[in-house]
Amino acid sequence: MPKASLFIPCFVDQLAPEVGLDTVRLLRRIGYEVEFRSEQTCCGQPAFNTGYWNDARPIAERFVNIFRSAEVVVCPSGSCTTMVRNFYPELLAGTSLEQEAAQLGQRVYEFSEFLVKVAQVTDLGAAFPHKVAVHDSCHGLRELHLKQESRELLRHVRGVELVEMAYSEDCCGFGGTFAAKFNMISAAMGDAKAGYIETSGAEYVTASDPSCLMHIGGILRRRNSKVRTIHLSGILAQTAASAERHPRPAAGGAR
Amino acid sequence: MSTAAREFLRHAAEKSADLVHRGVIRKGIDQYNAAAGRGRARFSDWEAARQKCYEIKWEAVNNLDRYLLEFERRVKERGGHVFWAENSEQARQYVAGVATSRGVKKIVKSKSMVSEEIQLAPALEKLGIKVVETDLGEYIVQLRNEPPYHIVTPAMHLSRADIAALFKEKLGDVDTDDPPQLVAAARRSLRRDFFSAEMGISGANFLVADAGMIALTTNEGNGRLSTSIPRIHLVLSGIEKVIPRLQDLATLWPVLATSGTGQPITCYNTLIGGPRGPNEIDGPEEFHVVLVDNGRSQLLAEVGEREVLHCVRCGACINACPVFRTVGGHTYGTTYMGPIGSVLTPHLRGLPDFNHLSYASSLCGACTDACPVKIDLHHHLLHNRRDAVNAAARPLTERLAFKMWRWTVGNPGRFSFAGGVMRAGMRVLQALKLDGTLLDPARAWTKNHPSPPPPPKSFRELWGKQNGAR
Amino acid sequence: MEPAENLGRERILERIRTALREPAPRHPGAADKSIFAPVGDPLERFQQECAANITECVVTPDLAASERAIRDVLAALPPGPIFVHDTPDLRRLSADWQSDRSLQWSSEGAPQESVQATITTAEALVAMTGSVLVSAACGGRASSVIAPVHIVVATRDQLVPDLEAAFTYIRQRELPLKNSYLCLITGSSRTADIEKILVMGAHGPRRLIVALSLKAG
Repeated sequence: MPKASLFIPCFVDQLAPEVGLDTVRLLRRIGYEVEFRSEQTCCGQPAFNTGYWNDARPIAERFVNIFRSAEVVVCPSGSCTTMVRNFYPELLAGTSLEQEAAQLGQRVYEFSEFLVKVAQVTDLGAAFPHKVAVHDSCHGLRELHLKQESRELLRHVRGVELVEMAYSEDCCGFGGTFAAKFNMISAAMGDAKAGYIETSGAEYVTASDPSCLMHIGGILRRRNSKVRTIHLSGILAQTAASAERHPRPAAGGAR
Repeated sequence: MSTAAREFLRHAAEKSADLVHRGVIRKGIDQYNAAAGRGRARFSDWEAARQKCYEIKWEAVNNLDRYLLEFERRVKERGGHVFWAENSEQARQYVAGVATSRGVKKIVKSKSMVSEEIQLAPALEKLGIKVVETDLGEYIVQLRNEPPYHIVTPAMHLSRADIAALFKEKLGDVDTDDPPQLVAAARRSLRRDFFSAEMGISGANFLVADAGMIALTTNEGNGRLSTSIPRIHLVLSGIEKVIPRLQDLATLWPVLATSGTGQPITCYNTLIGGPRGPNEIDGPEEFHVVLVDNGRSQLLAEVGEREVLHCVRCGACINACPVFRTVGGHTYGTTYMGPIGSVLTPHLRGLPDFNHLSYASSLCGACTDACPVKIDLHHHLLHNRRDAVNAAARPLTERLAFKMWRWTVGNPGRFSFAGGVMRAGMRVLQALKLDGTLLDPARAWTKNHPSPPPPPKSFRELWGKQNGAR
Repeated sequence: MEPAENLGRERILERIRTALREPAPRHPGAADKSIFAPVGDPLERFQQECAANITECVVTPDLAASERAIRDVLAALPPGPIFVHDTPDLRRLSADWQSDRSLQWSSEGAPQESVQATITTAEALVAMTGSVLVSAACGGRASSVIAPVHIVVATRDQLVPDLEAAFTYIRQRELPLKNSYLCLITGSSRTADIEKILVMGAHGPRRLIVALSLKAG
């Protein structure tokens, strides 16, 4: 049985565990043995993005050591995957782990990327009879060059109606510490995005990055919107059977 | 926090809430996007065009001394003057010196961002020399006593009604909001200035080394008149604008036009290498080129950042930026706005006072995708942030916060514990309905993001339960 | 300020040289690929581009026909002098115009501010962009921008396919050595600074007319 090692983003671990659980469910559904190395905490992105490279470096080194022996690493977040694949080489340049990091980056995959490009599965046997719009998370789009993968996966979901929102590639405004430091700009960007989502007629908006969804979800709630957020794994984990037995809560959750 | 940072936050808050302003910008950007999209489609290989431009600028910037010297030699052979200014003050002094010694009373200026950068106009006005902006967008913002809103489209934030009111007040002979009539009014007024000014000042889009000529790209004809009628023509240019060959313009002109406005090529692409030649029927008697350093040679020395000097000032990154779309051009408070401004300004004007611009970004990367010369703009923002931290230009609270963060995430037990404490805290605040209020330490986030209750267990706890503790 | 006083020059050059001792990384790419599809029939392409950028291109069988076309244009203009580039061809062509118009020749000096139209030759025409390449030798700097109407008298053999060819022409004729000024003109002056609405005739000509004769005689 092929093995996949989970890389669970720090905030997913603490604030959106269902994303991790659904990822596990799906990997097992397609025949992978899933492991979770519990020494992991964070990839270092918050410090790296804020310029604190000397603080991020030991955390990155720690990460490389934890996953050194993993064959394949799957991460339900484009931004965290980007950190490891695109930025670890620069962050760890000149250290003894520089090569290891570059090699590890080739084995770490964003969740939708893994399903479509590595496992080569596009039909997860899912059912989700709702109108869904896809927000193109920036890191996935511009750093990992992912766009069609999530749409391909969604096209095979029974009952789903994919609607394209205007400006799906516009940044939602989260940007990590940007959301706190420049919260008025961040909220305005989220507000613009929420408006386009509502106009699209979607009932749910999905993305590959749970951080985008936390941000968009909060803004939608503030607008008393009927639109809900749901991570891609959350949609794919739904089957006709589970949808009946476990209907999604109607109240606005950061799902 | 620097004064500039404080001002930025204040204006950003104002503009972020201004839905009318956001609507105007969105409309302008949509029009640009449609035109630029059509423009890129005219190329059989847009990516190859970008790569070609990258290579031309790489060659130019990495051989800067050689090409600048070649340019200078040829200009002087034609009887032009070349002055090298280390900083704004030297540049201003040279211009003032030429103007006062030649009895210049009025200057007509076609667009030059460097002239804004060195704050030329106020210095000349103090000497009693009138400086008239002739680029229509610059002319409009000059009448309003405002800086340019955007490096290519300086008045994009104004409606025709705004401009009509402005012209009625300042020009007197016009009372309409019909764009052709407004343009005609500006033409009438400015034409008098073209023919009475003793000096014309222009910028330069490129300095062509093998021809010893400046290349000037305009649509309106103001750049043409400013450099043909007055008896003195003075050029202001950053030292990084040099390119090796005239032939390079076969690629750069269409790319610049496409990225700048979506046109296949701009209306007037002018090459000027000196004062009027001996057999020529007209043209200025004097030609001066002021090469401005003002921090560029320092940027050149930072090898990892050197490619920032490849910028051709097309404005595409500004148009692509969601932060710009939200807060507009004036909020930045600097000559160069948007992504290129946020990358460049800390280098030209100092990291301590301006690093906040490099932080005012979600790092979405749209700028990098848009840049026709393939500058990795958003990664340079990251580098600026790193350099700000290493220069101890960040607040103590932030530095301590990340020390805390490092300690916490350095160990799974501490991380797990801290996460649990955070979630418990959130639950308490929510139960007391204090989330989002002043008593909530996370209010910068929670005030805009009403949240459901946090999950009772973390993923690792749930995994442990499901799969046996590891 | 004379160059002798430009102390900053050496300091700037020194800083540049020091900086450049360390080479910058260079990202590879296939920049030898062509970026534009080849131009088909240059005459056809030139006309298409002129239509797109609002240049009035009048194709005539010979210069005599060009002269008639130009006479029609001039007849419809408001009264006022016309500036003409002084060349043997244009002297010949303009023989009949003097009765209706006062002509100002380039050999007499720069065009007056009040001219209603300027008539010049060109160095070349560029098919790919529908552009006119002029130099100082084509009637000076102001002639292509000062009047409401600019008329270019050109012949088919002046057409080059694209910008690369235009720059090859410039290089082979050594135009930068012989002229302080060159200009590639594409359409008449315009602005979109007001609500991005295109308005023709900002500070330069409202109309650019190319009388393109198929025969050079």
